[in-house]
Amino acid sequence: MRPLFERARENLRNRRVLAVMAGKGGVGKSVIAAFLAIVKKAPLIDLDLFGMAAPKLFGVAGRLHEVGKEGIEPIEVGGVKIFSVGGIVGDRYVVLPGASQGGVVEALLAFAKLGNAREVVIDMPPGMGEELLSLHRITDFAPIVVTTPSAASYKVVKHLVDYLLELGKRPVAVVMNMAYVRCNGAVIYPFGRGNEVKKLADTHRIPLIEVPIDPQLEEYIGQIYRYRGPVYEVVQRFSLESNYAAF
Amino acid sequence: MHEWSLALSIVQSLDKWAFQQGVEVRRVAVSVPSVSQLDVEILKEAFDMLKQDSRLAKATLEVKVRTPRYKCRSCGHEFGQEEVDAQIKALMQSYGEEYPLHLIPELAPTFIRCPKCGSHDIEAELSIKIEEVETI
Repeated sequence: MRPLFERARENLRNRRVLAVMAGKGGVGKSVIAAFLAIVKKAPLIDLDLFGMAAPKLFGVAGRLHEVGKEGIEPIEVGGVKIFSVGGIVGDRYVVLPGASQGGVVEALLAFAKLGNAREVVIDMPPGMGEELLSLHRITDFAPIVVTTPSAASYKVVKHLVDYLLELGKRPVAVVMNMAYVRCNGAVIYPFGRGNEVKKLADTHRIPLIEVPIDPQLEEYIGQIYRYRGPVYEVVQRFSLESNYAAF
Repeated sequence: MHEWSLALSIVQSLDKWAFQQGVEVRRVAVSVPSVSQLDVEILKEAFDMLKQDSRLAKATLEVKVRTPRYKCRSCGHEFGQEEVDAQIKALMQSYGEEYPLHLIPELAPTFIRCPKCGSHDIEAELSIKIEEVETI
């Protein structure tokens, strides 16, 4: 018997687990996950064991978690409680063989002190590796799939959606990030209109959320909780609208 | 301090299992990897405190500290704890009380390198397991 696996399952029981994921890296899922956690005032668990973007976005990279009798204390910033392997190893790289990754995921989910949070946001790593399999073993998560309009991203994300549907987990939303940018009153689509992404969402009756590019966002890396621009506004709007209650 | 949260994990998971089986637990044997540097006495003390009012109330905890064998997946070198003791010691000095393998021993390949080729691509059994359970 693996006590940490059992504890991880117990720790997430009766909580809604929103897992923000993408088959591909660089599509902005950590940013979406961060805003979702801010809007929902939910704990943010960073399962991107190698990227560890959450501490960087919130400006707490290198800060270590305190550990108490009941588990790992969150690093709290901007009203968000963050849990990350970055808070255990500090400001250094993580390299792990596949067999070790599941144990790390289980330990983080077992010991994270989530308090009375009814919802938890998880920032997943790119790809469909051990972290995704581990999360599936541990909890009945609700996937939120992030992509860009680019055909390169779509083809990867389609495989992820196919896999999730096979598991019986219809994504609660497809987020088409970097969908457009407003420039001098015009709307520009630098990565195309994302018609294939729209078709994918439509075919499976998954709500589609189009998120704009905001060049100002870069200035908030390290203090993302202060940003209230159009990217945040879209995530907030769709989180609150009744049509997207699942999101 | 982490010994308490680990003890809680052991008690909670076994209490649930014992309830499902309709039994009470008399003895538990847990194995932990030596790299975790867990304090066995604190772990037992925490277990004895936390087991009250559970199906483990009469249980004793036995802790086996396992010395891992490592294998480098890059060069094939197999080695024991003694060949990485210096690396572990340096890691403990570097992190002090926040020694990361205390909390998550599976992170060992991030910090330990093969003594022969220097690769981090090493494998070992580093999980914490309940090995044996005796019931009443």
